Amino acid sequence: MLIKLQKKTVIISQVIGYCFTLIFGVTIILVTSQFYFDIKPLLSQQTGVFKNNAAIINKNISIFNSYDKKGIYFKNKEIKDLKKQTFVKKISYFNSASFEIKMSHPLFRTDLFFESIPEIYLDVETDEWVWDESTDFVPIIVPESYLNLYNFGFAQSQGLPVISKNVIMELEFDVEISGNGKRKTFDSRIVGFSSKLNSILVPQEFLLWANKKFGKSNINSKTSRILIEFNDPSDKNILKYFNENSYSINEEKLEFSKLAYFFKSSLLFVAIVAVVIIFLSIAFVVLSFNLIIQRNKELLLNLYNIGYRDKKIAKFYQFLIGGITSFSIILSVIISNILKNYYREKTSTLFDFEFGANYIVFIGLPMAFFLVIVYNRLIIKNIKKIVSKTN
Amino acid sequence: MSIELKNLKPSYMSESEISDSDIYLCKSLFLEDGKKYLVKANSGHGKSSLLNFIYGSNTSFDGTINYNKFNGKNLFDYRRTEISYVFQDLRLFKGLTVFENIQLKNCLTNFKTEDEISDMIDKVQLSHKKNSLVDKMSLGQKQRVAIIRSLCQPFKFLLLDEPFSHLDNKNISIITKLVSSEIDKQQASLIMTSLVDTKSFAFDKTLNL
Repeated sequence: MLIKLQKKTVIISQVIGYCFTLIFGVTIILVTSQFYFDIKPLLSQQTGVFKNNAAIINKNISIFNSYDKKGIYFKNKEIKDLKKQTFVKKISYFNSASFEIKMSHPLFRTDLFFESIPEIYLDVETDEWVWDESTDFVPIIVPESYLNLYNFGFAQSQGLPVISKNVIMELEFDVEISGNGKRKTFDSRIVGFSSKLNSILVPQEFLLWANKKFGKSNINSKTSRILIEFNDPSDKNILKYFNENSYSINEEKLEFSKLAYFFKSSLLFVAIVAVVIIFLSIAFVVLSFNLIIQRNKELLLNLYNIGYRDKKIAKFYQFLIGGITSFSIILSVIISNILKNYYREKTSTLFDFEFGANYIVFIGLPMAFFLVIVYNRLIIKNIKKIVSKTN
Repeated sequence: MSIELKNLKPSYMSESEISDSDIYLCKSLFLEDGKKYLVKANSGHGKSSLLNFIYGSNTSFDGTINYNKFNGKNLFDYRRTEISYVFQDLRLFKGLTVFENIQLKNCLTNFKTEDEISDMIDKVQLSHKKNSLVDKMSLGQKQRVAIIRSLCQPFKFLLLDEPFSHLDNKNISIITKLVSSEIDKQQASLIMTSLVDTKSFAFDKTLNL
């Protein structure tokens, strides 16, 4: 009887409207979130300098500075000016070794140089990238292009065997560093290959320590390469500024950062739109409910007057709105799963990557749970307010 | 159960507006167990307000109302088991039929069986309207439905607010009989308001408001 009475207070078109907007909003947010988590591994494969929207810059080398090397170093004034640019988030320096380095192995002996950058910009993941003063082992990272140059150029033309990454990483050799009248030999091994950083890298702690002990102090302050982290890599002022100042930057790398940035921004934008839709649908149903109870104020009050408790009166609306919300979100979860399978099938032919866990259910169900609780509280609060008004 | 009214008066009335009342501003008035009271007054003197105060649906009063030892304004639980009320404006539900309106109240306590309800509808000569929407009925018919509804719960006090205003003598007599038998069965008290003196029930006391 009570249900029959209260059913007449509900406007079906409003319920359907709420149902559709909620399904629409929740589906978008679920698919966007799942898509973000799915392509995250693809983006993070481009680790190191790209993950952080960063790029390496140096000065252009021309005929004028090939002998007078002063021209390739950044002046303090130039660095200060660079720091002032709005697109610059953070600046890090390549540290160069200011001591002599010789690498030796029973098969070869060569002079070498070392550089270092902060570890977060490395695009190589290895557990061996550690150094402290108590150990005599120094890990090294070399550019992948060096190995390619040997395998596909030098080895081919000289009839030498080609070497795989694994083989070369097994090779151990001595590194002898000297300077300031001191000399020390370390064990060393290549622990990784960088496809992005064109330098021979050692851990930053090691280089700082060695520069202090073996280095020539006058070279310390010179910086020829700078790592810049951008606020927004798509900022058009970046390339303009670098061209004006004759700084060299790898544009292709910057393009990827731009693309990743655009991609993330677009996803964020879509997610924000979806959140707005969800909020609008919530506001819509809350407003509709308030209208219903205002319009049927007398009926609800009469029910209370003949002995129906506020909780019992609210139950129908709680069940209705809670049920519709749960139904809509479950339907959204199903639709999102279908869409997810569809785009996964499509993208798996384009990219070779493993898809992440299914976040659709993990996000959808708590959302339904949360909304139902909020609605329940809101409904009982408003019903109480209406019926507790005495004549 | 007995009810005591102490220095009661509606908040919206000043003391000067109240004169010669047997109820309002009375130091202490006991409405006792098993007694029938007629509250008589002209329109606008607060008859409905008095019943609303007792029922707890209006708390705009000064003074106190004691229900046995219980003293308070939140009487919600009394509405199901202690006090039943026929509102002057009836407060029936337009979208429901006669039977549904009565059953809506009855199912709170399941006090009467369906047969008993049908029997009462029959007695007040509304069996042909049992499944009609109350919205399509006359005021007199609605009044009879509201009275039956009030009998479908246990009570110690039955409050009737001008219950016969739209009934003819024949129907008044039928209703009086029906209500009296229920009051006797439940050993309850009756408070009825009226504009004029009426002999419908054998009242123990007439109180001028």
